Amino acid sequence: MSSPSPIPPPNDRRSSRSSSSAAPYAGDGILVGGPPGSPSPLALRASNSPSSRRRHSRIVKTPPEFQSLDYVSAPDSNLVCLICHTPFDKPVQLSCEHYFCRECLDHAWAPQASGRKTCPTCRNKVETDKDIRPVPKIIETMLDELVVKCPNTKAGCTWTEHRVNVNDHVMLYCEYTPVECSGTDCRLQISQKDFHKGCLHYTVSCDDCHASLMKKDLEEHKRNICANRKTSCALCSVEVLRLDLKSHINKDCPKHVISCQGTIVGCKFTAERAEVVLHEVNCAMATMAPHFREQQARIERNEARMEPLARKVGILEDGLTNITNMLYPANSNDQSFPVTDPLDPNDTDPQAPTPDFRLPPASFPPVPPGNEGAPTQPPFDSQVHHLLTLHDSLREEVSRIANALTDLDGRTNMMIINESQRAKDEMLHANAAISSLRMHLQWLVSATIHQRTTSAGSSPAKTAGSTNVSAGGSSATRATSARPGPSATLQGPFRRLSDSTRQDTKL
Amino acid sequence: MFASKRLGKELTKMHGKLPPGITLVKADDFQTWLMDIQVIDSNPIYQGETYRLKFIFSGNYPIEAPEVVFLKDDSHPIPWHPHIYSNGIICLDLLDRQGWSPVHNVESVCVSLQSMLTSNTKKERPQGDDNFVRYNTQRPRDISFVFHDNQV
Repeated sequence: MSSPSPIPPPNDRRSSRSSSSAAPYAGDGILVGGPPGSPSPLALRASNSPSSRRRHSRIVKTPPEFQSLDYVSAPDSNLVCLICHTPFDKPVQLSCEHYFCRECLDHAWAPQASGRKTCPTCRNKVETDKDIRPVPKIIETMLDELVVKCPNTKAGCTWTEHRVNVNDHVMLYCEYTPVECSGTDCRLQISQKDFHKGCLHYTVSCDDCHASLMKKDLEEHKRNICANRKTSCALCSVEVLRLDLKSHINKDCPKHVISCQGTIVGCKFTAERAEVVLHEVNCAMATMAPHFREQQARIERNEARMEPLARKVGILEDGLTNITNMLYPANSNDQSFPVTDPLDPNDTDPQAPTPDFRLPPASFPPVPPGNEGAPTQPPFDSQVHHLLTLHDSLREEVSRIANALTDLDGRTNMMIINESQRAKDEMLHANAAISSLRMHLQWLVSATIHQRTTSAGSSPAKTAGSTNVSAGGSSATRATSARPGPSATLQGPFRRLSDSTRQDTKL
Repeated sequence: MFASKRLGKELTKMHGKLPPGITLVKADDFQTWLMDIQVIDSNPIYQGETYRLKFIFSGNYPIEAPEVVFLKDDSHPIPWHPHIYSNGIICLDLLDRQGWSPVHNVESVCVSLQSMLTSNTKKERPQGDDNFVRYNTQRPRDISFVFHDNQV
């Protein structure tokens, strides 16, 4: 595939000429091209013909895509295809008078069956190809006259022209159009202008900064990027290394606009550095500025130091309140407690004994922590006094509690006595009931014996019965009650007796 | 390729100006965008609420419809609507294969959804919402909805 001269006809001439003269060419496009519109059909036909394609297969340039073109001004929204959102490219008109790029329509219709094509906007049926018509000439003219930037703008081309010419520009004249490298086994791309220099796709290192990069990028690197090369400051045109450019602008450049040093105090002067330096000699605020800055720094330092101290004081006060609360729980919630400051000069007698059991102030006067225990401090005496009075109150409290205890003891005793008395009464009742039951039994038994004796008529049997009865009752109470004898006539008085005992208990 | 070009155009346009109630939340790539919509008029159902929409674009956008669902989080509920399921899936012919047209774009979809909410008066979910939400495993674009309601 190493054809002797892989260059299309228009460039062929230019390239061979420049290589023969071995001089860098500039503005060659004008020599070659002629009017922008005219050579394009020829050139295109030449590069597209089968024979030339075979010969120059390696210099194929890609035509610019209209959809990625950059327009100089925002295009009229009426000239924008609703599918791709870019100005129409080869537009067509449907029978419903909606316009689309031909290509966009094909895209949109690709998933639809051929008989069921509809307008994307209004869904009108598109029956045959006759429904797809060319757009009016004026639309095409308007589209042609849209101003676009060269697609190779990023590579350095500054061409800006009507859209209709962009194809010719890119395909024929633009020096920055990427083409395939002229090197025989190189498949990379290179700008058109460097094509005749042979393959530049090898690594070199920059002499100044030792970065390694491709030969084709070296020039650009040296011109715009390399940090170790001199460049001129855009403001004062002094030559400095690119590396130092920033610090030069920030610190030295006499043309850089800065404001007076007195800004922090209120000076509003802003000008180029050279002028500001002159101004600062006379500006009172600029002279004061360092002093103010120092003050400011000191204030900030102090504030920073104060913050932990404040926190410490808070913690200490909390601790103190806790201790106070532990010591004097009764008054812990008393906010209205009058705080007497022993150091207050208006307080005539700080050590005067307090009349009641008031507590010492919750927060002590601001004495340094080391001096708190010093005996000469008035707060100490007042503390002792308060402790003593507190002791008294506690003693009183103790005696009161002792009294209460005695009281409680007596009451408990009374309660227990009452309770046991009632229990005793209950027992008496039960006993009485039992004895009356026994009476009944004795009466019944004696009645039965009596009956038997009367029926038998023999006296020895009667005495045996009476001895039986006396043996059955063993308790003394029953013996006394049994003394009158087990006769049926004596039953009444016995009952009355039991009634009288009950009345006794009630009393 | 086609999609990213077109979405790039839409994005530059949306960075410029958007209709009221529609804001672009996130468009870091050409696959997923997040949009917020609010109902502007005083429809009591949607008063004071902001809804988050997720657009998922296929490589074939705008020929193919984007997948559009409501997202639910703490500050963005799913709006009440008889055609919006509680998992955020929207039953709208515009978003279906048949109803989609390449002339639609993200902005126009947002506007359509906004007006769909505006005109709604029923605070309800579609029929069979529970079952659908529980058992649906399909992606919105694969679900075959039946479009019966022409009121919306």
